[in-house]
Amino acid sequence: MSLVAARTWRQTDARVRAQRDWGAGFRWLELSVDGAFELPRAGQFVQLLLTPPSPVLLPRPMSVAAARRRDGRVTLGFLYLAVGAGTRALSQLQPGARLAVTGPLGHAFPLDEPGTPVLVAGGRGIAPLLMAADALAARRRSCELVFGARTRDRLVGLSEARERLRRRGSRLHVATDDGSRGFRGDVVALLERVAPRWRQPLVLHACGPHGMLAAVARWALGRGVRAHLAMESVMACGTGVCRGCPLPRSAAARARVRAEGAAAPALRGNPEWAMCCTDGPVFEAGELDWNRVE
Amino acid sequence: MSAPPAARRPIAPARVDLAVELGALRLRNPVLTASGTFGYGDEYAHVVDLTRLGGVVTKTVTVEPRAGNPPARVAEVASGMLNSIGLENVGLERFRDEKLPRLRALRATVIASLGGETPDELAHLVAALADLDGIVAFEINFSCPNVAAGGARYWAEPARLEATMARLRAHTSRVLIAKLGPDVTDIRDTARACEAGGADALTCVNTFVGMAIDLERLGSRLGRATGGVSGPAIKPLALARCHEAAGAVGIPVIGSGGIASGRDALEFIAAGATAVQVGTATFSEPGAAERVVGEMRAWLGANGFARVGDLRGRFAAAAAQENGAPARRDRAGARA
Repeated sequence: MSLVAARTWRQTDARVRAQRDWGAGFRWLELSVDGAFELPRAGQFVQLLLTPPSPVLLPRPMSVAAARRRDGRVTLGFLYLAVGAGTRALSQLQPGARLAVTGPLGHAFPLDEPGTPVLVAGGRGIAPLLMAADALAARRRSCELVFGARTRDRLVGLSEARERLRRRGSRLHVATDDGSRGFRGDVVALLERVAPRWRQPLVLHACGPHGMLAAVARWALGRGVRAHLAMESVMACGTGVCRGCPLPRSAAARARVRAEGAAAPALRGNPEWAMCCTDGPVFEAGELDWNRVE
Repeated sequence: MSAPPAARRPIAPARVDLAVELGALRLRNPVLTASGTFGYGDEYAHVVDLTRLGGVVTKTVTVEPRAGNPPARVAEVASGMLNSIGLENVGLERFRDEKLPRLRALRATVIASLGGETPDELAHLVAALADLDGIVAFEINFSCPNVAAGGARYWAEPARLEATMARLRAHTSRVLIAKLGPDVTDIRDTARACEAGGADALTCVNTFVGMAIDLERLGSRLGRATGGVSGPAIKPLALARCHEAAGAVGIPVIGSGGIASGRDALEFIAAGATAVQVGTATFSEPGAAERVVGEMRAWLGANGFARVGDLRGRFAAAAAQENGAPARRDRAGARA
């Protein structure tokens, strides 16, 4: 075993290629970085650092929604909502503007796990799942995409999702809380209705608000279905150093980490808390205590 | 206004001597990483050449592993951040058996940060690590603002600091650095107490106690009511504490608080610091400390300082002259 764990993320300059309004306050941002940047996988994130003068100090973690290599450069796509000082400043950047990108960071969705891939998105949680749909298509695997939001306006990226699925005969299932589009109800109620028809076993890959992810995790745990949930947290470094983004481990995970003791990778050896950045952001359902996730 | 210093002839940056001494410890340059912002050193080793830094101060190690505080642990504030990590760390055993060998392999200059709730715990840590290869100094964290026991308030008692430093001194001949908090009535009292107890150097300062309230929830933006403020917001505050401490003691002071550039670092040197620490800047830019070294070198060369030590305390000397006191080069002169 090597004394130094392999880490491949790095910080590099980026340029804004394009920025578009996707409606309901959502933005689509495309950055260009040099070709040496490792191509992120679905579920991984990067840290976006605005260059001075910037209204914010720390970089902002952002899930990657698209990544491709072309003409010796890497293009990264992001879907975000301008809600805070950092994302509002980001939304003002024009094509050509510079910023710094650190990544790719964290663990991706394990898309090669055997079983029918079921992508479950809540609102802007669609971002990494658009990329997951692309990755599955590239592997010539079909999937089921369950996409829910409060209202039809917030089904942002719906046409992009449909386009990505059309290629491989995968299927899209839509739910809104108010019934303004598709199934009336939440994604778990929709899953309950349609999942029995799919080829078993299922493997869920989900991203969305933590309340929704907790409901998806409980649904999966109650049925012995494997589920991988992409979590969010406020972060400082994003690289495991500051220990600033704890999520509560489940009782089983606490017991396992304690039993592993010194054999556990040192940074991951905290029995109480998992770090969203380096232990996640994608967690298997059984790893977290969903009653304590905020 | 005193006259500006006479213009100096520029020197090639490569010829500027950045080496500094903290007691018996000679550092290749004055830039250290601040504890808690660089992990155990190896996390950034693939993007930072650790041998180009003056040294790496590790995350604070305690006798037993600590799980740390509940979320939220970090919040951004104007030009800074609040943290409430709560000394999460792997504990003495795993630090010694897993982390230290990695740092040795990377040939970093390692300063181990140690934390304890009692003098006994600190003595146990120093004794356990005193004879191990790969640690050149200990920085004793007397100033964590985010723990229920053994935090900054407990260690703000000068008599307790002096007695504890004296006890640790008896366990090791390695360089002992005391890291002081800013939230005290007079930092000169805690600084002098550590010097009297046998400290070789001081780090000034740790984070400032701060709060941020989420008005809609009427709750803290952290998991606890308060946290420690760091980043550019605290640089002027830290600089004043550092200057005050450096004027009160004869041992070297390491400046810390909001340093993100070579100019920031050199302000601390001019205020009397011998070395500096880069902390929160690393979270935005992992290579920040290495960049600071280069920027210090470039400024010193352009301004004709052959050695970083030639700038040390120069601000103090100018202030003393202004008041009609004789200019003296040693730090004791700043006391006048």
